[in-house]
Amino acid sequence: MLLLGYAGLILGFGILGLIKANRIKNRPRELRELINALSLLDTEIFWGVTPLPEAFAVLRDRVEQPWKGFFAQLEIRLRKGENAFTAWEICCKEYQNKTCLLEDDWKILRSIGKGLGRSDRNEQHKQLQLAQKHLISVDEKARQEADSKAKVWTYLGFLGGLAIVIVIM
Amino acid sequence: MQDKVSIPLFTIKNNSQSFAIDIINRWLDDKIARIIKQASKSLNHSEIEEIRLRINKPLIIRTHNKELFLTAFGQIGTMQNAYFVTREDVVASLEKMTFSSIYAVENDLRQGFFTLPGGHRVGICGETIVEFGKIKTIRNVSTLNIRLARQPRINVDILKYLIDGDKVFCHTLLISPPRGGKTTILRFLIKQLSDGLPSLGLEGQTIGVVDERSEIAGMWQGIPSFDLGCRTDVLDRCPKSVGLNMLIRSMSPSIIAVDEIGSQEDIDALAEAARCGVKILATVHANSLEELKKRESLRNVLNNRLFERAVVLSRARGPGTIEAIYNLTEGVMLTSGTMK
Repeated sequence: MLLLGYAGLILGFGILGLIKANRIKNRPRELRELINALSLLDTEIFWGVTPLPEAFAVLRDRVEQPWKGFFAQLEIRLRKGENAFTAWEICCKEYQNKTCLLEDDWKILRSIGKGLGRSDRNEQHKQLQLAQKHLISVDEKARQEADSKAKVWTYLGFLGGLAIVIVIM
Repeated sequence: MQDKVSIPLFTIKNNSQSFAIDIINRWLDDKIARIIKQASKSLNHSEIEEIRLRINKPLIIRTHNKELFLTAFGQIGTMQNAYFVTREDVVASLEKMTFSSIYAVENDLRQGFFTLPGGHRVGICGETIVEFGKIKTIRNVSTLNIRLARQPRINVDILKYLIDGDKVFCHTLLISPPRGGKTTILRFLIKQLSDGLPSLGLEGQTIGVVDERSEIAGMWQGIPSFDLGCRTDVLDRCPKSVGLNMLIRSMSPSIIAVDEIGSQEDIDALAEAARCGVKILATVHANSLEELKKRESLRNVLNNRLFERAVVLSRARGPGTIEAIYNLTEGVMLTSGTMK
């Protein structure tokens, strides 16, 4: 019975490590997906002169989760008459825990909401380009670190569990 | 993959009984909307013609014959105790009106106005950004003037003065002061001529509309807000001088309708259209035929007999009051006295 308990402890900590590792591995994928979505949003605004609710509807259909839900929410809120800044802020808060992005990544994303839809096409284009550039540099760093950090967290989980078991024994 | 049907941004309720309230709720900032809704309880909704929001100035609504200051509690007040509009009120209303997409109305901003679904026009003032002598955009918007569009009932008798003995529509010029209802009458005539009027023996005709200011049809995302008849083609936001030729070549209309002519270019294009055998229906800003004769470019039009009929409008009994109808070919007045 005691052995089963020890095994459970190691497995539990191991799973926690795996979850953390998985989040680290998923972050670059989600960042890339976000960069693509912003690029598409930029195209819709700059070339298509598409109003934001319709542009978000296009994004909703073209991107994967979690951003699919993020843009779908934005579309619904804007169609109801909410302003873009408020809707963007609320969606950022709502989706912060549903993605693998870090607080610094969200800061970049939140900065987009401040001027979204409030200026002419050129200004919107510049703002979205700037956000994309920031995210690209964050993504490169995240990709470089992802594998090694994921491995560390996987081992740390199981070894941490093992260490606790040894201490208890 | 199944194609998704795009959902329109906004659907106009055709049979809305309280459409002024719908507009106020949907397009104005919550605080302003609350005040106007409260005030409209003591007014007939249909009386409200304009809502003016000026930063740090009193909130004003205009009915067809009155200008009213509104207090913060939605009562009719004075200039001193009226609610003073804030920058936030204007910005929030502008964001609601554009679905937070100011860039999408960028071209309209250059002209100083944009159109809401339903054909309601929003005039704007603010700081203009000029590039190479042309307005690039307007920023720091300081004033919004919302003009509620309506299509009141108009007496069809007007049409019998605008057709000749062979039941052919005559080249017609509608003369009206600002807010005199010229666009309303123009819309009415377009619809009647397009659908046909059996009681006058008029068959429906193909009509081309060059809607330079997007006011006649109130186009919103490619769909006209007003019913202009089943044989009407609209060229939206196109300069009249260019659009007239385009329509003649592409749509072969029997009648061409345009709003607010004035420049020599417009008049040359209309004369060219008339030479092609197309009938002209146009409007112009003036208080009377005499005033029109004082304007050089339009005096020539009258002297050259481009137009066969002139309808003079006023606001004597509300917008769209017909003061007189002239037969310009014979130089006689066909009818006079206020008709609505």
